[in-house]
Amino acid sequence: MEKLFQWLEKTIILPMARLSEQRHLKAIRNGIGYISPLIVVGSIFLIIAYPPIPKLAENMSLELVENILIPFRLTIGLMSLYTSFGIAYSLALSYQLDGIPCGILAMVSFIMATIPLDINERSFVSSMENFGGSGLFTAILISIFTVEAIRMLKTKGATIKMSKNTPDSVRKFYETLIPIGLVILIIWLVRIILGLDIQVFINKLFKPLVKVVNTLPGTLIIILLITLSWIAGIHGISVIGSIIRPIWLVLINENMLAFGKGTKYLPNIISEPFFQWFVLIGGSGATLGLVLLFLNSKSDYLKSLGKACIMPGIYNINEPIIFGAPIVLNPILGIPFVVGSIITGAISYLAMYFNIVRRPSIVAPWTLPAPIGAYLATAGDWRAIILVIINILITTAIYYPFFKAYEKQLLKEEQGKTVTK
Amino acid sequence: MINVLIICSGGMSSAIVVNAIKTEAAKENIEINIKSIGTGEFTNEIENNWDLVLVAPQIRHRFDNLKMEAKEKDIPIELILPQNYSPLGGENLMEQIKKYL
Repeated sequence: MEKLFQWLEKTIILPMARLSEQRHLKAIRNGIGYISPLIVVGSIFLIIAYPPIPKLAENMSLELVENILIPFRLTIGLMSLYTSFGIAYSLALSYQLDGIPCGILAMVSFIMATIPLDINERSFVSSMENFGGSGLFTAILISIFTVEAIRMLKTKGATIKMSKNTPDSVRKFYETLIPIGLVILIIWLVRIILGLDIQVFINKLFKPLVKVVNTLPGTLIIILLITLSWIAGIHGISVIGSIIRPIWLVLINENMLAFGKGTKYLPNIISEPFFQWFVLIGGSGATLGLVLLFLNSKSDYLKSLGKACIMPGIYNINEPIIFGAPIVLNPILGIPFVVGSIITGAISYLAMYFNIVRRPSIVAPWTLPAPIGAYLATAGDWRAIILVIINILITTAIYYPFFKAYEKQLLKEEQGKTVTK
Repeated sequence: MINVLIICSGGMSSAIVVNAIKTEAAKENIEINIKSIGTGEFTNEIENNWDLVLVAPQIRHRFDNLKMEAKEKDIPIELILPQNYSPLGGENLMEQIKKYL
């Protein structure tokens, strides 16, 4: 067992963790991180526009609903535009370039890559839809292109040379003109003159990947990778999220838009809230059940750990239990840590596949207790609360025999200690 | 007085460890100024006068990058051992910090 863990760590987990620290992926992670408060706030307006109380919802006029939705449309609805700034800003800083000019240029490039070709005939009107979730992959690639182009042009010396006596600020200004001009020119040529629909093209490339992430096998593989990372002692969600989060955002955004139109059955099952509220209850590995078992343990150590970990656990913070129990490299507790989440992941997926529980369309802060988070994420479906409780019961039952075995082992050690004292 | 910065992914779990260290420091009568942050805040926070940076085990794949930044500022940086990263690890963590007193 230990050998298997070591092999997994060396061949899968550590390479994946290193990949997530790759410069561009890190910039994407930061860029999305900057807008995550906007997504939570935008979600609040979405849930107010369609409140989970039927009486209230029925009495709201269409005009009122549309008015409430305006902040949602200007935050989440334009998220790719804002993300393009953040990604370019973060990537520029990693190259020690000026962040703000790169961020602004990335926004210009992104808008240019996305506007309709007949924009002049339409008195310069562009659909906002392209600047929302559907433009996310374009925003990512265009911002990376922008910063890389600037960096290359600067190192190749494609700038206006000024005499040494010019003041620094003046020189800086002229030095940036050629790189900025060239980046705009390139995107203008591709989009406007060649007429390539950059966004449609990029979205076609990513479509298979988005589809796979939304399937049951894709979901189970992601749960497996998250839990195995933690067993290796690496922050699973942080690593996997760095790679998959843009796809999760695209998926939840489609649900948000559908929900904003009043659609009953939402298109996608999977997005980050699915894992957050229905699978990783009390933190990765659904450790809330384990903490509850620890609270009633005969082992002094497990009992005191359970007491210290119950409050953080309710708010989905479980590093103390993962490292304290420990679950890391522990073959006894490691098995239910992985298996429990896979089983509850499959149950939750099927419950949403058959529309027994509504699919998530709201992003709530991740430190809420799971039943509340699940209720909000599904825009107020009470059946989501039941599903969470069922999942807690199932994971607790799966943990139980392993907990007992581990407790026995610890009790032996604890008794040994008191004897030698 | 020692200033210690603790880094984890989002600054949440390290807050729990900070409490454990504070309790232990009070027990041992050691003056300590300790703060927990997420990785994203590191570049800004390292500008302040820290005597020691401790990195949570679950982000050890980021340790090399963090180390480079800490080295530029000449601030010692260490990983926290997995078994000490818990509310019950205060005593051992204090031992780790005491080396820099």
